[in-house]
Amino acid sequence: MTPAYLPRRVTIAVLQVLGVAVAVFALSALLPGDTAVVVLGKHGTPEQIEALRRELGLDEPFGQRLLEWFTGLLRGDLGTSLLTGAPVTAEISDGLATTAVLTATTLAVIVPLALAVGVLTGLRQGSPLDRTVNSVIVMLDSIPEFALGLLLVALFSLRLGWLPPTAAGLSGTSLITHPAVLVLPVAVLVCKQLCALARQIRIGVAEANTAEYARHARMHGLRERTVLLRHVLPNAAAPSVQQFARTVDGLLGGVVVVEALFALPGLGSGFVDAVMARDLPTVQGYALVFAATTVTVNLLADITAYRLVPRHRGSP
Amino acid sequence: MNTGGISRRRVLSGTMGALALGPLAACGTSTGAGSSDNRLRVAFSTSGDRESLDPHTSTLFVDQARSKALFDTLLGYDQDMSPVPRLAESWEPDETGKRWRIRLREARFHDNEPVTAEDVLYSYRRIADPATGSPAQPQLSGVDFEASGANSDRELVIVLSEPDFTFPTAMGAPATEIVPAGTTDFGEPIGSGPFRFVSFETGGSAVFERFADHWNGAPKPDELEFVSVDEEDARVSALLSGQVHYSHDIGANSVATVDNDSRARILATPYSTMQAVAFKVDRPPFNDNRVLRAVLSGVDREALVKVVLNERGELGNDLFGKGLKYYPEEIPQRERDVDHARALLREADAEGLEFELHTSSADPYFEPAANLISEQLGEIGLKVRPRVGPSETYYSDIRKKGVAGHTRTATLPITSYLSKRLRESSVSANYTGYDSAEFDGLYDQAVATRDEKKREELLADAQRHARNHSGMMVWGFSNWNVGVSSQVGGLTAATPNSTRWARFDEAELG
Repeated sequence: MTPAYLPRRVTIAVLQVLGVAVAVFALSALLPGDTAVVVLGKHGTPEQIEALRRELGLDEPFGQRLLEWFTGLLRGDLGTSLLTGAPVTAEISDGLATTAVLTATTLAVIVPLALAVGVLTGLRQGSPLDRTVNSVIVMLDSIPEFALGLLLVALFSLRLGWLPPTAAGLSGTSLITHPAVLVLPVAVLVCKQLCALARQIRIGVAEANTAEYARHARMHGLRERTVLLRHVLPNAAAPSVQQFARTVDGLLGGVVVVEALFALPGLGSGFVDAVMARDLPTVQGYALVFAATTVTVNLLADITAYRLVPRHRGSP
Repeated sequence: MNTGGISRRRVLSGTMGALALGPLAACGTSTGAGSSDNRLRVAFSTSGDRESLDPHTSTLFVDQARSKALFDTLLGYDQDMSPVPRLAESWEPDETGKRWRIRLREARFHDNEPVTAEDVLYSYRRIADPATGSPAQPQLSGVDFEASGANSDRELVIVLSEPDFTFPTAMGAPATEIVPAGTTDFGEPIGSGPFRFVSFETGGSAVFERFADHWNGAPKPDELEFVSVDEEDARVSALLSGQVHYSHDIGANSVATVDNDSRARILATPYSTMQAVAFKVDRPPFNDNRVLRAVLSGVDREALVKVVLNERGELGNDLFGKGLKYYPEEIPQRERDVDHARALLREADAEGLEFELHTSSADPYFEPAANLISEQLGEIGLKVRPRVGPSETYYSDIRKKGVAGHTRTATLPITSYLSKRLRESSVSANYTGYDSAEFDGLYDQAVATRDEKKREELLADAQRHARNHSGMMVWGFSNWNVGVSSQVGGLTAATPNSTRWARFDEAELG
């Protein structure tokens, strides 16, 4: 790794996060209505709406509000919710725990599963097992999350009565003590995200398994298990790590639907609520969390992939 | 590498173990930690972080249901929206209709303090203060608080600035709950309702427990838990699987699903939500009454009820409040008359007129109704384009923009509706810009009339005028559906905003 690579990538990552924040701020300003209109709803008179708008600082120019938000950000202050008056960090942390439990559980299932599926099918490319497993995961990937969720609820909750259909009344770490409520949402996310990761691993394994270095290792009498663990998997891993980062991105996108369908009050639901309420500081906070997560995961994936490529291993 | 492999295997087996235990953990009806066997769980859609337990600022049904559990109002509404006693055991006006003497029943707050006349006056002052932002503010804005006062702990006199013999409707309105005098913090509220506060998380659950000393007797469930389930599909699934005992607001499409399942039933209340289009009569083209009458004649209300409401609703007659007290039943049903509508448009030189019909997903029936109405009005020679707007700012948008937009109103006393929606002064909810001295005069005369029969006649005249001139085209009334577990008794179909609605203290878990 060249000495300049890491600082350059980190600088780009920070600029990317800030760029997303500015874009979200600008786009949110284009939405019709504002928090004053949403809060007062049907009952607000034009005078009440104007008064609330002044109280919330919504009558200040766009540029000034953006500048205030940025200076707050430099002090580590994400601002306060226009709706509740609570710090935005507190608003976000409520949903963060729920989403963290949901995505961590999904990743704990999807990574070993994709690895098993990818290795098994990659080593037996073209076999009946390969074709069958591929057909199944592609089919699961093609069903929209909402439809898949409804199907699973209809079967496992309403017909068989094995699993609860929603997490109604639970959130954050209390979900861990009721793992049954996570089964269906995790299953939906796994079904949607498994295909790309497993197929990437499969391609990598198939290519590495027939590569010259693998054949050479076998000719030297190394056991098949050793060839797989020492040569095939490490070479197949580099592109798969980047696909893993895209899987994490996909999960963050997928949780919005899954959280709504299974009544999980996580980041996705909170983000949607904040947009609906035109609560700009809170929307900004969520946008930062999503952007920072995506950029960080991709940064880590790039660095890991860089390190995994054999020709870079000798670099400092 | 090997160590990592073992670790991964452990993680995997641990996860799978937890998932395998899932079905066992799912057994039983409740997922709530530490819940009692006699805990009633009810599912509502909520507004996330916007929620509060302040009863005076409540606007959503979930807010009102929680307020009903924790607090009491002086009066409630019967199914036809006529006032019935709650905390007030009697209420009488003087000859002028300006002084109301109210006697309270013996009741206690959750901290064992008695409910007094001072608590009522404090609560009403707080509601009437525009700074509170209460939706009930207009109902109490006519109270002269300087002249009003307590005669004793259990008797007070409320003085109005204008005569109003319909003032009891204000005392039963949602968001007029009585709170202990001096209350400003509703983090852990104290009320006099059938349940007392245990815990509340905005956008999440609220847990309340039985208040055994409630004036109407101890509630039947030990505990009541409100859970937030915004998606209608999820509310139906949660009900059918036994996760919750009550699911609020079930749409017409899901009613059949619940009806065909023995684990739950639908409580359907007819005439519950007025479905209407507001045509603005303060601007062209509908300031020409001939154009307004043309659209009123050109709409096929029967087809709308049949197609849009899936026949689970009632026909509208351009009047609010079918089935309620003061509804003028004698006015004949308005029928579709395409030839008459075309003739009116010709006369007004408005053939081929184009306008946008504002609609949104704020109500599930708005968009399908907009499409059908556009087709129907196309048949009389108008070019109507539905315009879909964002649901969260929809009502504010249509107040300012355009010439026509869908609207709806849940059940209210007819007098409250007439004063809130049709009087010139009701700027916040007069969607049509209807400004009629004749209507306002009839309404003011009616509420100042002591004689019930005479008042009824005056209100009928006012509604007759509004029907032809206000620009409110009421095409139907959708049913109000809630789903209840077959394990629960004691709950009956009830009009929204009535005393019997969300009466969870009477629910019996079987």
